[in-house]
Amino acid sequence: MRASAGWLLLALGAGAANAQVNLVGEWSARVHEDFGDRVPGDVQGDFTGVPLNDAARRYAEAFDVTRVAVLEHQCQPYNVAHIYRGPLQFRLWEDKDPATQEIIAYRQYLGTYMQWRTIWMDGRTHPPDYAPHTFMGFSTGRWNGDILTVDTTHIKKEFYRRSGIPSSDETTLIEHYIRHGDLLSHVIIVTDPVYLTEPYVNSQEFVRMARGNQNWLYNCEYAMEVPKPKNEVPHYLSENPFIEEFAEKFGLPFPAVFGGAETLYPEYVPKLEALMNQSR
Amino acid sequence: MASNCKLAVPAILLALMAGAEARAHHSFTATYFEDQTIEIEGKLLQFMFRNPHTFVHVEAPDEHGQMQRWAVEWGGAGQLSSQGVTNQTLRVGDVVTITGNPGRDPADHRIRLQYLRRNSDGFDWGRRPGETFN
Repeated sequence: MRASAGWLLLALGAGAANAQVNLVGEWSARVHEDFGDRVPGDVQGDFTGVPLNDAARRYAEAFDVTRVAVLEHQCQPYNVAHIYRGPLQFRLWEDKDPATQEIIAYRQYLGTYMQWRTIWMDGRTHPPDYAPHTFMGFSTGRWNGDILTVDTTHIKKEFYRRSGIPSSDETTLIEHYIRHGDLLSHVIIVTDPVYLTEPYVNSQEFVRMARGNQNWLYNCEYAMEVPKPKNEVPHYLSENPFIEEFAEKFGLPFPAVFGGAETLYPEYVPKLEALMNQSR
Repeated sequence: MASNCKLAVPAILLALMAGAEARAHHSFTATYFEDQTIEIEGKLLQFMFRNPHTFVHVEAPDEHGQMQRWAVEWGGAGQLSSQGVTNQTLRVGDVVTITGNPGRDPADHRIRLQYLRRNSDGFDWGRRPGETFN
């Protein structure tokens, strides 16, 4: 009897020593929230919900969405601060130390643009500033209770929105992975001293795939989609005729769409109402 | 040009069901006038069956009768493959009639394809359930 109790305690103890939530599996995005922005895209001029600064405004004003058709940009991946917002499925697995069975790193493969990530869990530090930047950046992770928190630096510049809100190569990212059964909440907090006045926060939901599928490839091929003179870059440096199209479509005052951080808080509602009353 | 109103529901369903790797690298709504349609008829010059989106280049007259090289945007190769379209579906020299949304910059002569018909044999795409792309 005593021997059985000992084995039981040993088994329970072994479990307790490695009791993190298991995130391993294949996860598929649910994009009902913000669907219009995240999948088909809306008309030009949607800058809502982003604490953009004046530098970002000037960039966005001059941005022509057809720039992504330029040869050099057609297959450019979204960076790690943006890619989870789109339709996406990702596979997550663990690398374990064979001797100790401790997790050295989480690995991810993202179907969209066929991107690979490593989230180091072994306590290593981030590389120096001059180290190369990539679209997925350099990531380290830690557990806070049942939440996996990931810090990412060394991210290549890209966009926060397809409407032309830029991100810089000084972007850093904090992610929280929170599992609820077969649902995964993914919270992202983006900091960018070049284009944002305060952290930009979003969350996405994923569902664990009960069955695998073959939708994992994104073989992108460069081609002259729309014949244009070589080196021409679409832009609206002089005047953007579509900049207020989103505001007009949804009956919003343009300052509320282009206003950045102050428009994100409930305290802005009286100002919004005043602006809407003026426009009536 | 005629007004056109497409239901978004099939595209939404497809996106949700397919795991939706085919997110447009740009917003169609921002790139094209989705409340307008135009029709062109001409000779196929190039068929680029590819990701992120397939493009068909067609030589056809504009509204002034001037011949133009039109760039017609279609679905990604992965999405079209599931609908029976392959890189052999169209050939250079095919005469086709195409209906779609015009691009916002008229100088681009760009169209988002909604319906395509090959005149020689009546092959068509765009009017059966599921024949859509995002």
